[in-house]
Amino acid sequence: MVIVIPFYDELVGLLGISVILSALYMLGQAYIDPTIRAIAIQSFIISALLGILFLHTQDANLLYLAVITGVMRGIVFPRIMLYQVRRFKHKLRETGVGKKTPMLVIIGIIIAIIGYALFKSILFPFLPNTQLSVPFILLLLGFFLIITRRNTLGQMTGYIQEENGVLYIGALIAPGIPLLIEFAVLLDILGIVLVAVILSAQRDIFHTLEPSDIDQLSG
Amino acid sequence: MEPSFLFGILWVVPCAGAAISLVPRRGVEILASLIAAALTVAISIILLVLPISGSFGYFYSDGLSRIMAVTTSCIFLTSVAYSVFYIKRIKEPSVRFRWYYCLLNLFAFTMLLAITVNDLGIIWLAVEATTVTSALLVGMERKRTSIESAWRYTLIVSAGLAISLFAVILVYFSQGTLVISNLVREPLKNTIIMSIAVGFALIGYGTKAGIAPMHAWLPDAHSEAPSPISAMFSAVLLPTSIYAFVRIFSLLQGTPIVFEEIRNLVIGFGIFTALLAAIIIGYQRDYKRMLAYSSMENMGIILVGFSLGGIGALGAIIQIVSHAFAKSSAFYGSGNILIEYGTTRMIDAQGVIGRLRATGYLSILSCLSITGAPPFGVFLGEFLILSHAVQSGNLILASLLAFAYIYAFIGLNRQAIRLIFGQSTIGEDPIGDSLKQPNHSLVNADKGDVSRSKVVIQSRQENRISILIPLVNLAISLVIGIYMFPTFLQAATGLGP
Repeated sequence: MVIVIPFYDELVGLLGISVILSALYMLGQAYIDPTIRAIAIQSFIISALLGILFLHTQDANLLYLAVITGVMRGIVFPRIMLYQVRRFKHKLRETGVGKKTPMLVIIGIIIAIIGYALFKSILFPFLPNTQLSVPFILLLLGFFLIITRRNTLGQMTGYIQEENGVLYIGALIAPGIPLLIEFAVLLDILGIVLVAVILSAQRDIFHTLEPSDIDQLSG
Repeated sequence: MEPSFLFGILWVVPCAGAAISLVPRRGVEILASLIAAALTVAISIILLVLPISGSFGYFYSDGLSRIMAVTTSCIFLTSVAYSVFYIKRIKEPSVRFRWYYCLLNLFAFTMLLAITVNDLGIIWLAVEATTVTSALLVGMERKRTSIESAWRYTLIVSAGLAISLFAVILVYFSQGTLVISNLVREPLKNTIIMSIAVGFALIGYGTKAGIAPMHAWLPDAHSEAPSPISAMFSAVLLPTSIYAFVRIFSLLQGTPIVFEEIRNLVIGFGIFTALLAAIIIGYQRDYKRMLAYSSMENMGIILVGFSLGGIGALGAIIQIVSHAFAKSSAFYGSGNILIEYGTTRMIDAQGVIGRLRATGYLSILSCLSITGAPPFGVFLGEFLILSHAVQSGNLILASLLAFAYIYAFIGLNRQAIRLIFGQSTIGEDPIGDSLKQPNHSLVNADKGDVSRSKVVIQSRQENRISILIPLVNLAISLVIGIYMFPTFLQAATGLGP
């Protein structure tokens, strides 16, 4: 039974724009707490998008994917990271961008526009799905978030955002991809998040959250 | 014996080794890791000797995967053995030793998984999992630079590999399957999408393989990781990532026109990496970073070899194997030097031959080997790739390759000679405080006149394990070169008029 969703295109478009807005919001944060909460919200929005795609296509894989995305990326990963922030409250608060956040948001908007133009001109002729522009832009903004942060957990949010983009691309163009792989990917990200948590604690001990003086690692 | 059973054991043994390593009894972790590594060597050699190719359920076997499985197992075994000597000398480890051995086993497992699994999705997962298992090994020494390097490695490689996940998704979108044996059999359904997938795979897996300009993590991680881990990174982790790329890249071979275009792109990345690394090597101040750049140069050449195909691909495979043994030998030697001098700065560790005679000679031979001096295997690999470039009429590529070989050879060996045979700065060593160290004795040449006395350093008896392991690996690299000598003769005669 196919469920007809009223305003399907508008709804998917609106949620897609919300995803981009959440990415821009993260760029504009000088503190780590709201950045992590924003990645949780972004993951929930993507989970909702996957749910809508499931209703539209009736592909059960998308439903499972929506649930595990909501649980793992929306709850488990942010919980682990927020726990770490609370442990080192006074030191892990700053994301390392200082007062540059308005400029970063503007650059983020420019990247989004360029990303859309690139998608339309390069990928769209071969992958004719307008919705794909959203994860493509998300991927680029994820990279930008990583390179603008110096804090371990701040960079980690950029990585999860990038993975969100890839997940959404996968759901849009290849929904039948074996679920085993999706599970495995999530476990892998969990591993990376745990490594990040361990290393952020170590870096904190060495006061290298702002690693500007490590000149030995050059050449 | 069923091949799938053997492959299954190949996966299970390092996992079991990892689990047993965590048993809180003194020495169990070393014994378990040594047994696990020795078993993986034995099984992978059986798999190599048995003529089994094709898919066996979850496993995929061809010449490349079996040769890489043997190489990975052997380097795993020698790294475990060298760790027994090396790791207890780390003053302030960031994880317990049993965790070190557990992660080392898992690291080997993830690489073996990537090499022998019959699914592109699982290959991606395994390559990504190598990051998870090895990140803490890079940060094993509890110091600021090690932790920073470990984090840089984790972040850059993970971010890069997300792009190769996109490539895997595109392969699925185009072909409707990720099972390698099916992909190899079926014709390409969407050539353009597959070309885009190869492009993304090159960026993604290239990040992990240290292909320029995505190589930023490589020198940091190699120089800061403990020497057995640096050896595993350079010898087998980078080729594993190249292997993952080659699996996707080779799918395009059915469409000659598109393959030709994409091949030029891959060759471009490969030669750029080789040239960049060859130029940078000569300016390094840190001997482990220098070896890291040498790995980068070798990976660039291997990528070119695989792109050329034919005898070039054969050269790439020979180079992977012989480079693995020679480079691990060089890194074990660098571990000996690091333990003695306590620094990786070349200026502070000059005159190694005076203190560590055996390590000195071993290191210089290893450096000659990795830069392609005959009759070592790397020379043969490089020669075959170059000869294929000449035979295919691509003289610009051939000249660039020759330039990279020669520049890297001169740059690295000049630095190595300075490090090994250079004037020792022991008299004014600001950090070594040599006189207080028990490792070496200082003999006064002229006992009658202290003020005019000349300090002569006596070399000391070195730990046998620390010499034997790199010596064995270097010997294997030499044997590969000699064993494959007929191939060299064939290629050399083919170059004539």
